[in-house]
Amino acid sequence: MEEKPFTTGSYREFLESGRIMANRCRNCGSVHLPPRPICPRCGGRSLSWMEIQGRGTLQAFTVVHVPPKRLRGREPYATGIVKLEGGPSVSGLILDVKRGEDINIGAEVEAVVVREEDGVKLCFRLV
Amino acid sequence: MGLFRNVAIVGAGMTRFHNRIHVGKTGRDLFVEAVLEAADSVDKGFELREAEAIFIGNYSSDCFEGQSHTAALISDWLGLTPRPSIRVEDACASSGVAINMAALAVASGAYDLVIVGGFEKMTGRETEEATEILAMAADALYEVPVGFTFPGLYAAIATAHFKRYGSSWEELAAITIKNHRNGALNEKAHFQSDIMDTARRLGERHNMTFKDELEFLRSPLNPFVAYPLRLFDCCPISDGASALIVASSDIAKRYTDTPIYIKGFGQASDTFSLHDREELTELKATRIAASQAYKMAEVSPEDIDVADVHDCFTIAEVLAVEDLGFFPKGQGGKAALEGRTSLDGERPINPDGGLKAKGHPVGATGAAMAYEMFKQLRGEAGRRQVDDAEIGLAQNVGASGATVVVQVYGR
Ligand SMILES: [Zn+2]
Repeated sequence: MEEKPFTTGSYREFLESGRIMANRCRNCGSVHLPPRPICPRCGGRSLSWMEIQGRGTLQAFTVVHVPPKRLRGREPYATGIVKLEGGPSVSGLILDVKRGEDINIGAEVEAVVVREEDGVKLCFRLV
Repeated sequence: MGLFRNVAIVGAGMTRFHNRIHVGKTGRDLFVEAVLEAADSVDKGFELREAEAIFIGNYSSDCFEGQSHTAALISDWLGLTPRPSIRVEDACASSGVAINMAALAVASGAYDLVIVGGFEKMTGRETEEATEILAMAADALYEVPVGFTFPGLYAAIATAHFKRYGSSWEELAAITIKNHRNGALNEKAHFQSDIMDTARRLGERHNMTFKDELEFLRSPLNPFVAYPLRLFDCCPISDGASALIVASSDIAKRYTDTPIYIKGFGQASDTFSLHDREELTELKATRIAASQAYKMAEVSPEDIDVADVHDCFTIAEVLAVEDLGFFPKGQGGKAALEGRTSLDGERPINPDGGLKAKGHPVGATGAAMAYEMFKQLRGEAGRRQVDDAEIGLAQNVGASGATVVVQVYGR
């Protein structure tokens, strides 16, 4: 695992095997999800892999009623920004939610890795 | 940053922004139209061939029209080969950034006179396709596949702002109402009817009547696009172009007695994905770009008499007026609700109707903001003229705030 480069491809490969892999800057300690080759906070290039557990809290959300073409037929669907335990925030579909009134910022969520036609995706479910 | 010499706008033109009247025209047709109007607007006369270079903001003629290498095409179509022609693509901030590039090029002494502007021909695509093309300005790997659209990103910002500051959708509705009221006074605007007129017209079609704007805006005739944002919280998809004739201060007075100077400008970038921001309720790049522009112009937020800000969605105007320092954080929407940002308010915002009512042909927007400041500061804005406007500001945002560009204009 330590051998893998910090690329979008590595992130996807891990996700395909059900693991959410971030990387951590050895210099300043900041955590990046998805992983990247250069720490955006301090510019450091000494980084290490770090596995993220899937629990987090919802920071912001929307329920999309006018979807892009590739998600046609799925609307309305919820998507949001989740702050994960361990530090990083990430965007993900919030499964099984159809109305904005049914979710709140601060809600606890759990990650689910979903395989779809256009690739493997990080999604969340309300806990 | 200091400039080697000052830079002024001596002429400005734009097409009307609209979704139907430009059917049959291409992006190049629209841009030529805007440039010719800008040239004709120069008080003491201007020949296109006096221009030494062209800077063009365009987001995606590639996807919208199947046409890349747009800058050279435009140079050819203006009859301006072999002059250098440069395309700038920074999403919705494309022509705002092009203005800064033009200003730098003229300030450096490399050129005395350039054309800068932008265009977008968007209506050749269905709404779903256009939604997909616009979403390309967000992260194609980590935002778009999990369902974020362009309205969706701003909707998420709205939920965070509501939660943090106790702001509300009713405040956003006040921005819709104000900007449509202003758009009704602008012959270049996409929508030229206020919300009550719109409610009456749409209501007749559906056998419904509305006692006031809010009742209409809460009705099924204003459906959700991305909760909590509804259709009338979103700018329309429009075709259009805008253009400016930009000159060094050394020669500006040869063209007009009332040039409008680009007194200060700034630009900043931020994390590409919204989810990587430490704070979701502000656009940090606005604060940074504005502080650069204020510093160069030697003004402070209180000095700004009139501003065009990037209200691609109503919540974006809230963020803008807060992050530009016009109102405290959390108070931006309330300012609109209280009429403080209306045409006759203490700080008129988007007198031309903003992106909301004027329309948002992506690449044309930044230069169209400059067009409005040129008109306002010269006292030529007609029915939407802001009294005693001497210092103006434009804030142009790329996508969800990964690019922001700000200019301060003055006489
Ligand atoms: Zn670091």
